[in-house]
Amino acid sequence: MESPIITSVALTKYYGKSEKPSLDTINLTIFKGEKFGVFGPNGAGKTTLISLLCNIIKATSGTIEYTFDNQKKNIKEKFNQVGFVPQDFAFYAELTAKQNLYYFGGVYGMSSINVKEQTTHLLEILGLTSVADKKVKSYSGGMKRRLNLAIGLIHSPEIIFLDEPTVGVDIHSKLTIINHLEELNKKGVTIIYTSHHLKEAEDFCSRVALMDNGKVIALDTVSELIKINNAANLEELMINLTGKELRD
Amino acid sequence: MNKLKVSLVKEILLLLSDKVGLLLMFVMPLLLVFIITVVQDSAFKLVNENKIEMLIVNKDQGNLGDSLIDNLALSGSFNIDVSNELLEDDIKKQTLNRDKLIAILIPKNFTKKINQNAEKISNLMLTEFGVLDSTNVLAKNQSLKNNNLDFYFDPILQESFRISILSGINTVLVGIENRKMLQQLFTDLGYEKIPDHIQKELGKQNVSINSMPASNGTSVMVPNSSQHNVPAWSLFAMFFMVISLGGNIVKERLSGSFVRLQTIPSAFLLTIWSKVLVYLFVSLSQLTIMFCIGMFIFPHLGLPELKMPTNILALIVISVLSAYAAISYSLLIGVYAKTQDQAGGFGAISIIIFAAIGGIWVPSFIMPEYMQNIGMISPLHWCIEGYYSLFLKNGEWNELTGTLIYLLLFIFGCQFFTFIKLRKQNYI
Repeated sequence: MESPIITSVALTKYYGKSEKPSLDTINLTIFKGEKFGVFGPNGAGKTTLISLLCNIIKATSGTIEYTFDNQKKNIKEKFNQVGFVPQDFAFYAELTAKQNLYYFGGVYGMSSINVKEQTTHLLEILGLTSVADKKVKSYSGGMKRRLNLAIGLIHSPEIIFLDEPTVGVDIHSKLTIINHLEELNKKGVTIIYTSHHLKEAEDFCSRVALMDNGKVIALDTVSELIKINNAANLEELMINLTGKELRD
Repeated sequence: MNKLKVSLVKEILLLLSDKVGLLLMFVMPLLLVFIITVVQDSAFKLVNENKIEMLIVNKDQGNLGDSLIDNLALSGSFNIDVSNELLEDDIKKQTLNRDKLIAILIPKNFTKKINQNAEKISNLMLTEFGVLDSTNVLAKNQSLKNNNLDFYFDPILQESFRISILSGINTVLVGIENRKMLQQLFTDLGYEKIPDHIQKELGKQNVSINSMPASNGTSVMVPNSSQHNVPAWSLFAMFFMVISLGGNIVKERLSGSFVRLQTIPSAFLLTIWSKVLVYLFVSLSQLTIMFCIGMFIFPHLGLPELKMPTNILALIVISVLSAYAAISYSLLIGVYAKTQDQAGGFGAISIIIFAAIGGIWVPSFIMPEYMQNIGMISPLHWCIEGYYSLFLKNGEWNELTGTLIYLLLFIFGCQFFTFIKLRKQNYI
């Protein structure tokens, strides 16, 4: 029996005085060890959903429950088991990769020895060892993207949220990132992932939620969704379900 | 503890990588304090120690014009160049060309007028004493026109400086008139001249002025350009951290680092406190460096030595509160500004305005009353009030109450609005 790691009930979010919800009554269960994809056109509510699940913004109504192996008393401690890789580069470009990883590892409460070991490991896996002591502002786009991922993984989280982790990188960096995520998933890490690369998502995700206008309009394994909706692939399925009109 | 340590290390590394910010925080105050002190000290010396270039055109047909020139020369304040052949236009040209800062045109009736005035007063006095008949006196009183001294000055000359020069000339003039009057009195009484023993006594100045700055306690703080400028411009430069700290916060906010920190328990507040601690250290280092330069380097450069107040604890408290006020203001700007340019631009301009209305550039007491009232909102006004109490008056705690209360309120206000904004954005 799969055990849920995140359960959201009637999760709703209104921004400011808007009468239209950005997220409308989302009921979702994500299971431990899943590679869960969240897809949809621009403005569908993907980032809002991820931001709510990561505790970056507060829901207008509804609840989110986290069930970790290592149960913690309060939400703050629980979030030490969550990793977040935002679409924007969320690090300090004036520092080196090592300094960034030491800092973020430190604020997660890791011991110095742990941080150093994990830093060496991640830099090695993600191909950044040779530039570890160079300032990040001198890195290429692919190197920055890999460092962005490394920081989200420094504290060995149980769940990792990835918002467009491979956007704007070359095929080599993309493969390195995807391979490492596959490795982590094999070790039991739950991955929640958004991307515009639907082919990549189709190959990577075990289950996907398709969103439009703040609602989940389809939720199942990729193969099941394609089969039920009689589509050739995830891209065709998305067009069929959300229409062809432009979204901004 | 490790969390705080890594946060502090990160802030220090970020600060060290911000070369422009470091220049603004450490080199700018040094230059400011040095330049302003030298300029003000030079102005002070120009008035009090250096001789002022003066042109005199003496058209007087008597001997008192020469006497005036001799007395002005004896005063030691002027380097006098006498050119009697010059016309009014030539005098104006020379002062405008800055060959001479000031010029005096002594009119042809100068001696005659002084003599006439002396006669008039002597007659009035003798009539009053009953020695002369009053009808005799009225007949002698006739006025002469166009007998004033003309004083020309370079328009760049500041009003206070001009008034001080005029006052010096007036003193010499009054001396000549008085002496002439007395001489006339003795002549009218039948003497050939003022008796020598009286002449000798007249030359003495029996009452001199002791100039003493008001001060608390036994030690006297002598106001000079260092006592005024080192604390004032150090504070001004300290508040300029808004460019570095405010910009740093906007940068982190926009780069996404803050969003990542939001997902890490307690990390956000830890980051803010680390910034506060690092910048507090920076501010106090700035002040320490400035004060040390005032104390140990300035005397070697011919500038007055900065004397530290006796109440060192009060100095530390005011310094820490001033630094914390500057940090709180920078945090406020950092969380409300939408871009780094906005934080830098608004921050810098607001500090300049705070300094101007707060009495850093010119003392508050010479401003109009409404401007003095507006100046009360400036944190720099209260910081400098506190420092002036200590550096110029050797002030005690009771004189610092206003400063302490205002600074605490200012800090609370900035922190409160920073908290509101961060709360609204779900950072804390």
